[in-house]
Amino acid sequence: MERSIENIWKEGFLKSDALIAPKINDLYAQKSIHIIDKFTRMFRINLKAIVVFSFVFLLISYLVGIPIMGIIFFVTLMVLVVINRSLLKSLETIDKGENSYEYLKKFNHWINKQVEINKRIAMFLYPISFMSIILGLWFKDAEGMFLGERLVNKIMIQFPEIDLLFGIPTLGIAIVLLILGLLAFFSGRIYMWDLNLVYGRVFNKMKELMSDLETLNN
Amino acid sequence: MSQDFYNTSITPFSGIIIKLCRAYTSSQEDFEDYYQEVCLQIWRSKDNFRAESEWSTWVYRISLNVCLTLLKKKKNNTQHFVSDSMPYLDTVDNHAFSDESLNLLYDAIRQLSEIDRAIIMLYLEEKSYKEIADIIGTNYNNIGVRVQRIKSRLKKLLDGKIN
Repeated sequence: MERSIENIWKEGFLKSDALIAPKINDLYAQKSIHIIDKFTRMFRINLKAIVVFSFVFLLISYLVGIPIMGIIFFVTLMVLVVINRSLLKSLETIDKGENSYEYLKKFNHWINKQVEINKRIAMFLYPISFMSIILGLWFKDAEGMFLGERLVNKIMIQFPEIDLLFGIPTLGIAIVLLILGLLAFFSGRIYMWDLNLVYGRVFNKMKELMSDLETLNN
Repeated sequence: MSQDFYNTSITPFSGIIIKLCRAYTSSQEDFEDYYQEVCLQIWRSKDNFRAESEWSTWVYRISLNVCLTLLKKKKNNTQHFVSDSMPYLDTVDNHAFSDESLNLLYDAIRQLSEIDRAIIMLYLEEKSYKEIADIIGTNYNNIGVRVQRIKSRLKKLLDGKIN
């Protein structure tokens, strides 16, 4: 007679070796491999690195005479840090002792929220970073005048017929605007591509789990 | 973690954790990592326990939630997620039990979707449909139907393998 799965289960676990717990040493000192803890660690490290980098960059920008670049970078990155700190706090409130549906829903919601927010930030961050480089170099002191003005003067000598807008070559403005547009357009996609490369499996798995649980709930 | 906490709050329920972790892992090494992680998360979350449910139910929840969302990198550096799309081949050393029928049953369970694995494990642990629904957070009415479906699938997977 075929055994039922219930019997296989019960009888199998009656054997003495079936439920031997692995030996664990110094558990609390172990590095957690849980995805939430990994996100938390990654976020903390990233935020600290951004803060340190923005201060160092601000200092260097003053020393090399491009403070505008440093200030714009600093302010932009600080906004990024503040926003992501609040995201980090909400991640830490997810209770692993809730029922699986609520737990996964909250985690999934957090993932979607952080992706959406950071995608939007990326759309501004890249163009702002590029603009800060342009402005920083433009307003850099070059022997008593701005580097940008000096460059325009040189261009005017070589190409006296060139069109100017607010004293800047129109072609230059067009190129900068085009790059800004491209950066804004592609930055969200670059961010998603980068994210999917690292966390694509997590996102897919979350989708599968949620869809299965939603089916059970309906 | 204090040895006291481990002895009094985890050891009596280690069977639950072992059974669940075995269903979501494919090697002894992964199993030990999952087991350790579940214990760590129970310890870290213990202050959130509000005695609205029994400690054992809460341990089930933590174990299940950790297993469902654990991401582990294998030693060979390929990212590994135990997935239902990946047929399970348990050929590994001491990860197997000495009871061959139980091994075959676990192999079959590992071929189920992750939620189905959770449901059948809780069912086999003699949890009522209501308890299963509470732990998973789903509609109680659908659990019975799902359990029957999973059992049929397991029977097909085990067909002819166990006498």
